[in-house]
Amino acid sequence: MATDNKGKWLVGGPPLAYLIIFFAIPCLLMLVASARAPGEFGGLAPLVADSGKLNLTLASYARFFASAIYLQLFGKSLWYALLTTALCLAIAYPLSMLIAASKKKYRDLLLLLVILPFWSNFLIRVYAWMIILGPEWALARIINGVLGVFGAEPVTLMFSPFAVIVVLVYVHLPFMVLPLYANLEKHDPALLDAAQDLGARPWQRFWYVTWPLSLPGVFAGAALVFIPAFGIFAVPDLVGGTDGIMIGNVIKQQFLETRDWPFGSVLSIVLMVAALGLTAVAALAARPRRNAA
Amino acid sequence: MNRRIPAWMWASAAAAYLFLYAPLLVVVVFSFNDSKLNAQWVGFTTAWYVKLFHNEEMLLAARNSLVIALLTAMASTVLGTMAGFVMHRYKTRVLPVLVLAPIAIPEILMGVALLMFFVMINMTLGLVSITLAHIAFCIGYVAIVVRARLAGMDESLVEAARDCGATPLAAFRYITLPLIMPGVIAGALMAFTLSIDDFVITFFTAGASASTLPLQIYSMVKIAVTPEVNAISTLLLLLTLLLITVATKIAPGLLRLNR
Amino acid sequence: MSFPMRDVLRFALVATAALLLAACGKKEEAAPVKAEAKTESKAAEAKPTGALNLYNWNDYIAAETIERFAKEFGAKVTQTYFSDNDEMLAKLAAGASGYDIIVPTSNAMELMIKKGDLQPIDKTKLPNLKNIRAEFLNTPIDPDNKFSVPYAYSTTIIGYNDKQMKKLGIEPKGWEAIFDPKVACGVKGKLTVLDSPDEVFSAAFIYLGIDPNTSSAEDYKKAADAIKKAKPCWAAFNSSSYIKEMTAGNIWLALGYSTDMYQADRNAQEAKQDFRVVSVLPAQGAVMSVDNMVIHKSAPNAPLAHAFINFMLDGKNSSELSNLIGSGNANQAAMAYIKPEVKSNQAVFPDAESLKKLHQLRLLSSEMRQLRGQLWTEIKVK
Repeated sequence: MATDNKGKWLVGGPPLAYLIIFFAIPCLLMLVASARAPGEFGGLAPLVADSGKLNLTLASYARFFASAIYLQLFGKSLWYALLTTALCLAIAYPLSMLIAASKKKYRDLLLLLVILPFWSNFLIRVYAWMIILGPEWALARIINGVLGVFGAEPVTLMFSPFAVIVVLVYVHLPFMVLPLYANLEKHDPALLDAAQDLGARPWQRFWYVTWPLSLPGVFAGAALVFIPAFGIFAVPDLVGGTDGIMIGNVIKQQFLETRDWPFGSVLSIVLMVAALGLTAVAALAARPRRNAA
Repeated sequence: MNRRIPAWMWASAAAAYLFLYAPLLVVVVFSFNDSKLNAQWVGFTTAWYVKLFHNEEMLLAARNSLVIALLTAMASTVLGTMAGFVMHRYKTRVLPVLVLAPIAIPEILMGVALLMFFVMINMTLGLVSITLAHIAFCIGYVAIVVRARLAGMDESLVEAARDCGATPLAAFRYITLPLIMPGVIAGALMAFTLSIDDFVITFFTAGASASTLPLQIYSMVKIAVTPEVNAISTLLLLLTLLLITVATKIAPGLLRLNR
Repeated sequence: MSFPMRDVLRFALVATAALLLAACGKKEEAAPVKAEAKTESKAAEAKPTGALNLYNWNDYIAAETIERFAKEFGAKVTQTYFSDNDEMLAKLAAGASGYDIIVPTSNAMELMIKKGDLQPIDKTKLPNLKNIRAEFLNTPIDPDNKFSVPYAYSTTIIGYNDKQMKKLGIEPKGWEAIFDPKVACGVKGKLTVLDSPDEVFSAAFIYLGIDPNTSSAEDYKKAADAIKKAKPCWAAFNSSSYIKEMTAGNIWLALGYSTDMYQADRNAQEAKQDFRVVSVLPAQGAVMSVDNMVIHKSAPNAPLAHAFINFMLDGKNSSELSNLIGSGNANQAAMAYIKPEVKSNQAVFPDAESLKKLHQLRLLSSEMRQLRGQLWTEIKVK
């Protein structure tokens, strides 16, 4: 319908235009960069060589597939990101349910309380975690005390994959809570009451009513956690120790120390394709459920 | 809508809040620590707050961060809601990709790409370039949340309104928008949070003279993140709280995150 | 109007008003300075003034020095910081400009000179240049000091917690404390190294008796193997918070910069810790990093930039940084103003014997860089 199409362009036009200018074009620059040669002093080599020919090469892509460590690192980052997403979901779900089920006058406050810590600076929060996980503090002492009872060696919580996961979960939690809450809040309690009347037990009410209805929210939250967590570098940088690095750190390294921008672009493109690809697959997997219900 | 909340839900929610606030408590408490380091408690002092008020660079950076975050939240909420609506209502192929990709792309790539782009179009780098960059990656977050909210909405209400003769715009304004408002506000909050804390993209698009709080703090990272940083974090927190309180007094329905 | 709409509009109005207020505030700040600068530059043509954009390392200049400069020249100094040469070079490579003075390390400066990023310095405007010791001038990287003037230097050394090392019975004297698993694993979990391929590879080279400026792929692989062997004993690659960790006593041994160790020790004393952070220049030798003042080719205010360089070449002004962070000083006139405990610190002002064992890093070719990058990733992943 003509009016329908007009509506689509009228409403969709501005964000589309903005994103094309400030996202698509820079991305295109990067895509071309991945096929260029590294500049002699860092950055990129000129696009058009002195001879007038286009100076493009796929050498950087070849390098990526030539060595196993990059794929290995992708696998490790994938695992960390999935774990973070799962933990965020586990912690956020009951929290969001609580807020959605609370009296109206408390909901705003409770939600704001979730977001509030994240208006303080990221670095300072990570530093706070470095203190909390430090060897002199309560948490480490308790854990090592327990381990000592069993005769095991004391562990350092700091500078380890454990620290990376804890901080990753912490940093991404509100991005799971908010979409989940936005969805759960809409649920009609009458459905649950009906289920209860039909004799469903609490876990059945959850599994057959609440969970399927909440899937769009779960999916939105999972996407908002998984995708950034996959490529992050700041957290592993600060608390990861020698074992905790992720693919984001290597990408940063390419742009800074190694000054190999084409290779950094290649890694970034692979990261983006992997993250979006997996999300698309998950979206397809989630959809049939909704229709069946 | 009072539902009996089971004990396990209370307990796990309380644990979640504890998890969320433990580092924050450390930040606030250590802002009064009588030691240059953020490592051990030595004694109580308010000297850092005093020092902070004389630290012009830090205060300017904090103000820049707030201004940028407010602008970003407003612009990306509007654009993101529009995008989320279109993504839900129509079958588009290009928009969803453009909307989701900024979230997936590594920040460092986006930062460098945007810097190259700004230089290419000869734009002076500063607060404006930072804001434009922030809006670009915040739109996606808002759009996702709004779309999730729309997915749970009852379409028949809109159809009923149309049947009664409402134009699409009126149907959106009076039916859809109020129903998705919690999603919109949630998206705005996320955009604000993302912008005020962003480091990587800001780093590359800030240019020679603009400074934001994350950049300022990062520049102190090497030697010691003195409690001055804790102090400004605490103050920023209080300021934001104040902003919200004032906002709810002026516009009581604004934060009706529930229907 | 539906109720949320009304409130949204109200809030938007208030927010916009607040924004305008905030923005107005900034404009007011900017206007008087511009006016001042215009009248001053017309009145005092001889003395440069205006705005200066300084792009420097974090914490690499004393606040008093900047204040004094700003007062003497009626100038407004805007400082931007970097914590790594590569950060600064990446930003410049992407096209960032508008900096007057940048303070790169010699090997980064080599790249900038080759690339043509810098403008020549007018030495007639630098009467204080004579204060610099001869051995720091006219280096292979910048013959005849066409583009640069030395600013400060530091060495990459080993710092340790004396109380803990005594308890363990280890006395770190050389690089084996970091690279020999027999020694390093004795401090397992409490040892960090800098997160910098430049520094860690160079230290490994020196440990193995190889020149850090080698361009042999074989040598790089040997160094990478040595690093991989020692890595299990290390707690982290850390360039940012290891000073804090050493001061707090969480880390007992670290590969780090002499300036950082000096500060860690000072901080530990201020925090009334019961240990000292001792710096030791390893017996086999170490890397010396000389940082220089250069003027970027796009500098908006070259006259003021020259005035700044001359100002920093003055003995007293130059000494303030050394006293603040324990940095080495190439300025002879500054020695009179430097505190005795800094002057006597071997890691900061090495004696003639040790000076012979110090290496300055040169720019690495891009093939070697790629190889080293690959090896560094391997080191970090495996």
